[in-house]
Amino acid sequence: MKFLINPNRFNQISNIMLTPLIILSVIALTTGLVFAFYLSPNDYQQGSTVRIMYVHVPSAWLALLTFFIMTVYSIIGLAFKTPFSFIVNAAVAPIGATFTLICLITGSLWGKPMWGTWWVWDARLTSVAILFMLYLIIIFLKNSFTNDSLGEKITAIFIIVGSINLPIIKFSVDWWNTLHQPASISKLSSPSIDPSMMRPLIIMTIAFTLIALIIAIIRIKAEISERKLKN
Amino acid sequence: MLLANNISFYRNNNIIFKDVSLALPPQKIINITGANGIGKTTLLKILTHVLIPKKGNIFWNGKNIKKNLFNYYKDVTFVMDKQTSNINLSVIENIFFWKKLFSSIISKKEIDAILDLLSLDNYRNTPINYLSNGEIKKLELTRLVIERKKLWMLDEPYIGLDIETINLLNETFINHTKSGGMIIFSSHYVPDIPNIENLQLENYAQR
Amino acid sequence: MHSVNPILALFYRELKISYRNFSDILSILMFFLLGILIFVFSIGPNTEIFNEIGIGVIWTLILLSNNLSLRKFYQNDFNDGSIILLHMSGLSYELIVLIKIMIIWIFLQLPFFIIIPLAAILLNIELPNVNLILISFLIGSPILTSIASISGSMNLLNQRNFAIGSVIIMILSIPIIIFSVGIINASEEIVRAQLQILIGILFFFLAITPWVSAACIKLAIQNK
Repeated sequence: MKFLINPNRFNQISNIMLTPLIILSVIALTTGLVFAFYLSPNDYQQGSTVRIMYVHVPSAWLALLTFFIMTVYSIIGLAFKTPFSFIVNAAVAPIGATFTLICLITGSLWGKPMWGTWWVWDARLTSVAILFMLYLIIIFLKNSFTNDSLGEKITAIFIIVGSINLPIIKFSVDWWNTLHQPASISKLSSPSIDPSMMRPLIIMTIAFTLIALIIAIIRIKAEISERKLKN
Repeated sequence: MLLANNISFYRNNNIIFKDVSLALPPQKIINITGANGIGKTTLLKILTHVLIPKKGNIFWNGKNIKKNLFNYYKDVTFVMDKQTSNINLSVIENIFFWKKLFSSIISKKEIDAILDLLSLDNYRNTPINYLSNGEIKKLELTRLVIERKKLWMLDEPYIGLDIETINLLNETFINHTKSGGMIIFSSHYVPDIPNIENLQLENYAQR
Repeated sequence: MHSVNPILALFYRELKISYRNFSDILSILMFFLLGILIFVFSIGPNTEIFNEIGIGVIWTLILLSNNLSLRKFYQNDFNDGSIILLHMSGLSYELIVLIKIMIIWIFLQLPFFIIIPLAAILLNIELPNVNLILISFLIGSPILTSIASISGSMNLLNQRNFAIGSVIIMILSIPIIIFSVGIINASEEIVRAQLQILIGILFFFLAITPWVSAACIKLAIQNK
């Protein structure tokens, strides 16, 4: 497991892993897309729009997963002073931001035919919007300091503070939503889901995770080389 | 007795200095010399545990200062290169703040005497922003007497002072060492004081 | 305890400085009142709307005014090095943070207790609701001060992006705004629940702020 904190080991392992990962992700994505477009039924209420879910839900999952990974690496980085943690944070934050943005855009695209407007102050969408802003702050904060090593440490502290605040924010937004809006608005992904829709969803989630992993590996490798050049 | 063992400091993976060791017994003065950017301020900040060295340990009376930080601070006065007097307060208010902050037992008479000696007595109630740089520096140096600590650390104490004050400062240094105190300061100027030892930081720089 | 004297000294000094810069506090209060005025101008003097959104307006402006205190926390003490002096007098950075929060709360938040009823009169808010605002402000304001402390300490050496400090305050304040403003138009049970949640958030922030701010200050000092 040493490759998770050691840049050299990471480079070695990722060189071996990258090609199989790409092949796997291509397979997963094509089967996922086939399932999503042809082998899953229309929703009886939402019609074909339900297929947006196959992009929306994996993005939401990755948005949260990335934040979780960054939190773990921030804690490790601050506690054990491992430079690799900050490399991962720097490389991964834009990926998380992008998937959060995809989640927002697909949510809004889904909302237009369903709700009639691009944006509804739905608790889940609002929380994702706040998560997106947290990502932006993380990216901006790191670049605000003339001293890079200070910037990444302060950012790591902010990531930890942000991640312990995230449940509070989520809870408060849910609370706010129930206070201000009747529960008539249907949720984006209902808790009960038919197996025929579950299958493409799972495959797409795997495919998206693999793609994110590949991008992350490439970005981390780039970040490692960049830092080596700087020194 | 202040002991520093093999202190190394890196900034952004660049070695500033390596394996600096020093021993400062009572009644002794160490003058850190060296060109600009050699790390004089850094070394002083390490000795006060403001900066943490990459390697090496510092001992005060045989105890590692890392573990006994506040006990160590009870014996240290650190005069930084910056002027810590608050610009919103007057001279005397700053002095009383320091007196209270360091629980000093210095009497009002003594404070008056110091102000008189440094010819600051006319500015007692003047806000700091009306003082000249040299006067602010002099005010900063009063902390040495107010705090009454054993170990004095000064970063560039002579900068901005007139000859009269420099002589006064040297005299204060001599008196302090005579009463068992220790002093470590950084300066380009080597004053004519007994028991002084030069620490040339150039010798430890990695070139 | 040997560290009582430094605490008192710091307290007394901050008191003096705040007294000297009293116009600064008044300016923040003026910012708040002017904000209300601008809201009134932009909405129109409609009493009914005020009754509905007044509390939201007041809380929004409290939050915005709180942003103005951002640089008052550690910036001066950090720039002139006196924070190191405070530390060397025997105060841990965590303690310094707590004292600073207390002082800033007293000087920059407590005056709002006088100005909020005034704003409530201007916005025609009913008396029971004014009480609710004051109670929620009593609990919510130390949270805002803690958040400002976190943001202020994070941005000590930030020389490129000054706005990010305010942005951090805003995003962390979202729950406080929700639970503070939500107490209006809610049934009594929900009001109590919200206040309890708010108290929970308060304790949470009081617990983490000293550590977070102190860590940021230490980082800033070591990287200066």
